[in-house]
Amino acid sequence: MVGLSLGETHFIQGGIAQDLRCDGRKRLTYRPISVETGVIPQTNGSARVRMGATDVIASVKAELGKPSLLQPDKGKVSIYIDCSSTAEPAFEGRGGDELAAELSNALQHCLLGGKSGEGAGIDLSSLIVVEGKICWDLYIDGLVVSSDGNLLDALGAAIKAALSNTGIPRVEVAAGTSNDEHPEVDVSDEEFLQFDTSRVPVIVTLTKVGRHYIVDATSEEESQMSSGVSISVNRQGHICGITKRGGVGLDPSIILDMISVAKHVSEQLINKLDSEIASAEADEES
Amino acid sequence: MAGKGGATPATYSPSPTTNRKKKPPIFKEDWVRPDGRGFHQCRPAFFRTGAVNAASGSAYAEFGNTKVIVSVFGPRESKKAMMYSDIGRLNCNVSFTTFATPIRGQGSDHKEYCAMLHKALEGAIILETFPKTTVDVFALVLESSGSDLPVVISCASLALADAGIMMYDIVASVSVSCFNKNLVIDPILEEEIGQDGSLMITCMPSRYEITQLTVTGEWSTTKINEGMQLCLDACAKLAKIMRSCLKEVASDSQE
Repeated sequence: MVGLSLGETHFIQGGIAQDLRCDGRKRLTYRPISVETGVIPQTNGSARVRMGATDVIASVKAELGKPSLLQPDKGKVSIYIDCSSTAEPAFEGRGGDELAAELSNALQHCLLGGKSGEGAGIDLSSLIVVEGKICWDLYIDGLVVSSDGNLLDALGAAIKAALSNTGIPRVEVAAGTSNDEHPEVDVSDEEFLQFDTSRVPVIVTLTKVGRHYIVDATSEEESQMSSGVSISVNRQGHICGITKRGGVGLDPSIILDMISVAKHVSEQLINKLDSEIASAEADEES
Repeated sequence: MAGKGGATPATYSPSPTTNRKKKPPIFKEDWVRPDGRGFHQCRPAFFRTGAVNAASGSAYAEFGNTKVIVSVFGPRESKKAMMYSDIGRLNCNVSFTTFATPIRGQGSDHKEYCAMLHKALEGAIILETFPKTTVDVFALVLESSGSDLPVVISCASLALADAGIMMYDIVASVSVSCFNKNLVIDPILEEEIGQDGSLMITCMPSRYEITQLTVTGEWSTTKINEGMQLCLDACAKLAKIMRSCLKEVASDSQE
């Protein structure tokens, strides 16, 4: 993006110090969020989220695969992010790869929980068809269509909405198959099952500018950040993941303060997001 | 495959025998760690600088069975034609040998380690001291036995010091694993595989600043507090070991 002049820099920082940002928001206010679900019919679930001028699409594809050796009783979930060059010229060629990898890893940290599977937003055990042999593999793909800051929060919201929209076909395992053979499965064309997404967390990114933190930073505000912390909070108020961004060090007490601020902000965000998702699903059905 | 249909609002659970073979819980009342350590005890740390002759700076580190070697080259001219920058540039690369993991060749999919190492060191290096040039950090994990990334970060900061790169402070890194309600510091590979959550902190102990913080799994706020305090204390002790290693080399060269 185009660099800012010194005057613009001071204006942005001064505004944040006085709790008045360039677009009139306060420090802890999000831009308007709109959610659409079912935008890509060929996928098992999809959603589009707009946060101001940031526009992202998330889709979920489910395929039958083999469980991993370490966790034979759990399905698998992978998250991939594509930073399209339509979003920003800097993403041309391999320019977006680094940011895409960073976003993908942050989302995996925040959504997929620990290695034992505890704390994941989705119950991975519900993805098992035959233990040790067949499970559902979920492939979550995020696409950045337009980039104006705060991609991580938008992608987190889009993935939550896409998972709400996801329908997985019911699978019947043929009876009488001997135990050591590969089981025969019959995938239903009519019956679909949905996830319980009440435990999927939302991501709140707090960006430190000067001596204050702001949520939902735009590109210009992100260019002024010294550091930031992305905190994933679920409905129960538990922290599901933290990723620090930016290079400058942070005092531990500031980080703990950021965590409490993020929990406070996430309550409103979760409620708003859930109502948006519910209305989007209702719109889709009508 | 069709999208959502049928509007059956049920949680998907096709396998009724899922709960029958539940994994035996790692933590028990009288549980002792596989290598006999206490819950809040780190593995023995060994550091040595000057491990690679061709590099500007290098360091070798062992934490128990985790062995890491790091080389630093530069400040030197960038090979790629990059934009002008009036501060220095830092490139990081972390790779695993094919024999590093119990299963051969399994450790090559840690692509995120490069970015995390970069972010951990970026806040500690005074980049303004070498404008227009690049410092390359190459880390190689010789043996992976749990908590690889914290060892890489600590070893890399020692290698940077050996190369004479100006830094605000030494960078020390420690991680903690969460099992049910208990915190275990500096987990080994067996513990890492079954952990419910993990917390990794990289800090500059003298300045008391955190340069990298990563949390996975589900944590309550009090647990995060506890884990952070545990890690910060361990980082302070680790930094002492690292400083004594540097002093050792300095006093040797004086004699």
